[in-house]
Amino acid sequence: MSPEILHHATVRSIEQVARDTYLICSVDEQVSCNARAGQFLEIKVPHCAEILWRRPFSIHNTQPQKHTFDILFQTIGQGTHRLAHLAPDSELDILGPLGNHFYYEREMREAIVVAGGLGIAPFMLMMRELAQRRIPMQLFYGVGSSDQFCCLPLFEKYATLHLSTIDGSLGHQGLVTDLLSDYLDRNSDNHGKSLFVCGPTPMLHKVKEIAACHTIAAQASVETVMACGFGACVGCAVPMTNPVAGQKEYFLACKDGPVFDMREIVIDD
Amino acid sequence: MIDLSVQIGPLTLKNPVMTASGTFGYADEFVDFCDLNEIGGIITKTVTPQPRAGNAPRRIVELPYGMLNSIGLPNVGIENFILEKMPFLQTLKTHIFINVAGTDEEGFAYCVCRLEDVAGISGYELNYSCPNVKHGTSFSSDARIAERVTRNVRKVTARPVIVKLTPNVTSIAEIGRACENGGADAVSAINTVVGMSVDIKTRKPRLSTIIGGYSGPAIKPIALAKVFELAQNLSIPVIAIGGIACAGDALEFLVAGATAFQVGTVNFHEPNATMKIKKDLEFYCQKNNIVKLMDIVGSIQL
Repeated sequence: MSPEILHHATVRSIEQVARDTYLICSVDEQVSCNARAGQFLEIKVPHCAEILWRRPFSIHNTQPQKHTFDILFQTIGQGTHRLAHLAPDSELDILGPLGNHFYYEREMREAIVVAGGLGIAPFMLMMRELAQRRIPMQLFYGVGSSDQFCCLPLFEKYATLHLSTIDGSLGHQGLVTDLLSDYLDRNSDNHGKSLFVCGPTPMLHKVKEIAACHTIAAQASVETVMACGFGACVGCAVPMTNPVAGQKEYFLACKDGPVFDMREIVIDD
Repeated sequence: MIDLSVQIGPLTLKNPVMTASGTFGYADEFVDFCDLNEIGGIITKTVTPQPRAGNAPRRIVELPYGMLNSIGLPNVGIENFILEKMPFLQTLKTHIFINVAGTDEEGFAYCVCRLEDVAGISGYELNYSCPNVKHGTSFSSDARIAERVTRNVRKVTARPVIVKLTPNVTSIAEIGRACENGGADAVSAINTVVGMSVDIKTRKPRLSTIIGGYSGPAIKPIALAKVFELAQNLSIPVIAIGGIACAGDALEFLVAGATAFQVGTVNFHEPNATMKIKKDLEFYCQKNNIVKLMDIVGSIQL
């Protein structure tokens, strides 16, 4: 029995970093020193009996020297609102790190990272990992309006930014996938390129098409509802591209993922 | 020394804490959270004669104090189960009950028959009551069928047989009696309550199968009433299931007449819940000078 997976972290600080978007920094050596980019935590909503399920969050960043880690999240429902209003020094009841992580090909020469909205969450840790490997990075990052961008100065240290907003308040007006298509059309040598994406389902669908069209290996971090996060509830089914009919037709986002080779999963448009 | 042991048919469980099928996987999912040998009895996720992929997403919906599910019994099938899942279960030093279901009446006896020569199995739980598969609840909503299927299973095994009942019937006691007549050693109740949720923005049902099974603390009063009804009408043990999340919940069921209980939905968000409940039962006994937990079973003051 390894008791480290289910444990308590201590909140160090909570900061609003964009519209309805918060960054919680917490102290926990186990998560800080062991988490890999793409993994997630299941966090219990404190003091709220009616909310049963823990909430899954990507691990946004870690500071192993300080034994701290960050999660980045948007306030959507009662659970996330409660988390956003935790006081420093509060205890966080956490489960994790859970799930698999992004996989880096040995031959990777350029990382193309595509994020929609809060889909940016897992990529700070990834960029730190890739910077250590001296991999050049392009970040395609789209949100609704400019006040929803998170941590741009920090991302700019690691990657060339390609920004888009739906309302045109910053960067390209429209979808981030437009920028991605343009970039890949202009840089047609796809050798050594790896694509990583996280964001809303329609965006994943489009990115899958673009990656297939340019024959670039693409990994997606998918988001599903999940009751447990460790394979017991079997609620987080993700349809397989090549199912064994009647036997195995679904992956589990929590155990087989949350990161998948995009060729292996069905993404509805 | 407090005696937490309880008797289910010929079996003595070291304590009344069991795990509800479908909420505890095949136990190996919980090695990081629990000392599995401390649990009174482990009931596996349902196994069927053939492999099943399960239902399309969306399979689960969170609701206040509860959840809806329509998982659809995904499992590797009885043959792969024996090869892949039994070796780990055989290492455990507690009672292992294999939950089985058939898509037809013969399926139950088929699974049990196939498991008879497999070591490390204490008994079976028959899932007559899954609301999320075709014909899933018909075995426990018709007393004649319930009795017949139980009898057919009874013929092929000497191991204890528990029948899991649905609350979605007019008289759960009638079905329970039929199972007792068919030779069941115990009944477990309740399986999930049929439920539904609608997204008012899209006006679509939230579950892919439209209706599903409702579980969690919200169904505890329903479960308690059904367990009480069964305990009053049956002479075989009743194993309580339904919204049990702490020792206090469990004690309500024991007082109402349950001999043991299963911990379900709470395992998803508190994966060490079984450990905590067992410990708190001990504290309760200590505090109240109860030497033998069995003494409080059915002690309700009416």
